[in-house]
Amino acid sequence: MLTIALPTGRVFSQAAELIRRAGLPSKELSSPGRRLVIEEEGIRYILAKPTDVPLYVGYGTADLAFAGGDVLLESGMPLVELLDTEQGRCSVVVAGPPSLSCRFHGHASELMGMKVATKYPRIADNYFSSRGAQVDILHLHGSIELAPKLGLADCILDIVQTGNTLRANFLEILEEVCTVSLRLVGSRKSIAFRWPEVREIRRKIEEAVKEMPL
Amino acid sequence: MKRLPRGCVNAGGNLASAMEECRREFLSTFRSWGYRPFLPSALQLLESSWDLLPPAVRSRLIAVNTPYGEPCCLRGDITLAAVTYLATHYAPEERPLRICYSDRIYMKPAPPKRALESFQIGAELLGWEGHGADVEMLSLLLSTLDAAGLERTVLVLGDATLLPRALLPVDTPTAEKIASALSRGCLPEYFSLLKGENIPEFYRNILMHIPDLRGGAEILDRGEALWRGESPLSGLRGIVASLTDLGYGGRIIIDLSLARELAYYSGPIFDVYSPDSGRTLGGGGRYDRLLSFCGMEGQAMGFALDLEAMASLSRFRNGRPHLMAWCGNLSPKEALERAGELTGKGMSLEMSWAEGRESSLESAEIRGFSTWTDLSDGTVLDLAGRGNTPC
Repeated sequence: MLTIALPTGRVFSQAAELIRRAGLPSKELSSPGRRLVIEEEGIRYILAKPTDVPLYVGYGTADLAFAGGDVLLESGMPLVELLDTEQGRCSVVVAGPPSLSCRFHGHASELMGMKVATKYPRIADNYFSSRGAQVDILHLHGSIELAPKLGLADCILDIVQTGNTLRANFLEILEEVCTVSLRLVGSRKSIAFRWPEVREIRRKIEEAVKEMPL
Repeated sequence: MKRLPRGCVNAGGNLASAMEECRREFLSTFRSWGYRPFLPSALQLLESSWDLLPPAVRSRLIAVNTPYGEPCCLRGDITLAAVTYLATHYAPEERPLRICYSDRIYMKPAPPKRALESFQIGAELLGWEGHGADVEMLSLLLSTLDAAGLERTVLVLGDATLLPRALLPVDTPTAEKIASALSRGCLPEYFSLLKGENIPEFYRNILMHIPDLRGGAEILDRGEALWRGESPLSGLRGIVASLTDLGYGGRIIIDLSLARELAYYSGPIFDVYSPDSGRTLGGGGRYDRLLSFCGMEGQAMGFALDLEAMASLSRFRNGRPHLMAWCGNLSPKEALERAGELTGKGMSLEMSWAEGRESSLESAEIRGFSTWTDLSDGTVLDLAGRGNTPC
């Protein structure tokens, strides 16, 4: 039996829709209720918190999974990224008050010691380290946009889709770090051991991606 | 409660017993085939390691300074220490050199690991005389795993030279990006980089197919067909054929996109997986390039396994002695002599010096022994079934 981990919450419906369009068993996925494990015609679906999904795959509990690019980057788990579904595309950005813009366009030394609030401490650390800047990272779990307003941080690193929340909090995008979207990933072991099955599922999902509106 | 520094572990209890049994099986197998034990220093000079390790590994080394003021790191990789040692302690005519080791390594952990230290067992064969030596090492590895009860472990075999060969017409910075995307497992990025590059069709076709070349021995034919007449996989093919002749054919998976974190591999490479765990037990491969960096000509092969991961899956994992031997009314000398007769027959036991029979039995039950014996009269109790049997 092949096990696929699916993130609950915002992206669950997109992952479930891709599975349905790919022709994989999905009858019970349309109304999972409170169930966390669903078995349908040779496939076991595990419904997990989005940030836990890479862990299930990394430890080989799940063979495949759908996970957001931001979650994958933050986890740093050794997985195989099989397909970019392009669903839920958004950007990871550094944002802050417009007055900060000049510091980002100047010498890297201008960024030294800056306080950065984020849900993604690993991405933030990698990003600013790659720029040679040592910053103070504050790990928050929500309402990141509040941090500059309340003087807790100079800027934030967060995902942005429309930018409306940023604007509502008088913040603007200072730099784009990367774009992220929903990805199909697999465990390294399953990719080696069960490649024909994995390849077939990837092919079906790839076909479904082509038909799915963005 | 006294705690250890974060990221450090004491191994004890059943796990330590299992690790010790696995280590013993491993060293016994390899030593009987001429592999000499190697006990590396925990400290390595940074200048000896730095240039030989990729940046991603360098950043995980744990740097220290000795009281003599020499910048060092705790050894993060025993192969490097072993090759440096062999390159400087043996003359060329003494090769091939075979060593085996069992020791701790220290590194800043990469996800999902959290431990700074881990136990590694491994072996290296330097200055070998042909394909037979590769097969020797892999078959001894499989035989060690079998002895530990891991008869279903699988070798995932690849070849570290294949991708660089297919990337020959690509400029170095781009080739490095493409190789990095594949080794990190980012297939969308890998294919996107290939699309953007002006690569001759012959090589592009190979590169486009590499991630799909995983499966049984037939993958070697598919791989070589892409090279139209060349035989870049002949080394791997020879290894697979010999291991199949030795009865290990069912335990090989070919993955021509396989890459290992350390950049010094330069030929057949492999990962070891157990069906009972989602993560690799370890791996290894051919590392001729590392030898040349250390000033040695020739070829070399080695592997390392995570001893704790191996032990936790091995047949030794529940390994306390099954038998508790009570001294009864015997003197320590008599009791030890009688117990010695049992251990001499290959039994493993634990002595009980409790004063009363009932307290000894109670202790045996609480501590999970399956059998209890009174050495003074030879009574044996099956604690699971609670029956008496003659000794």
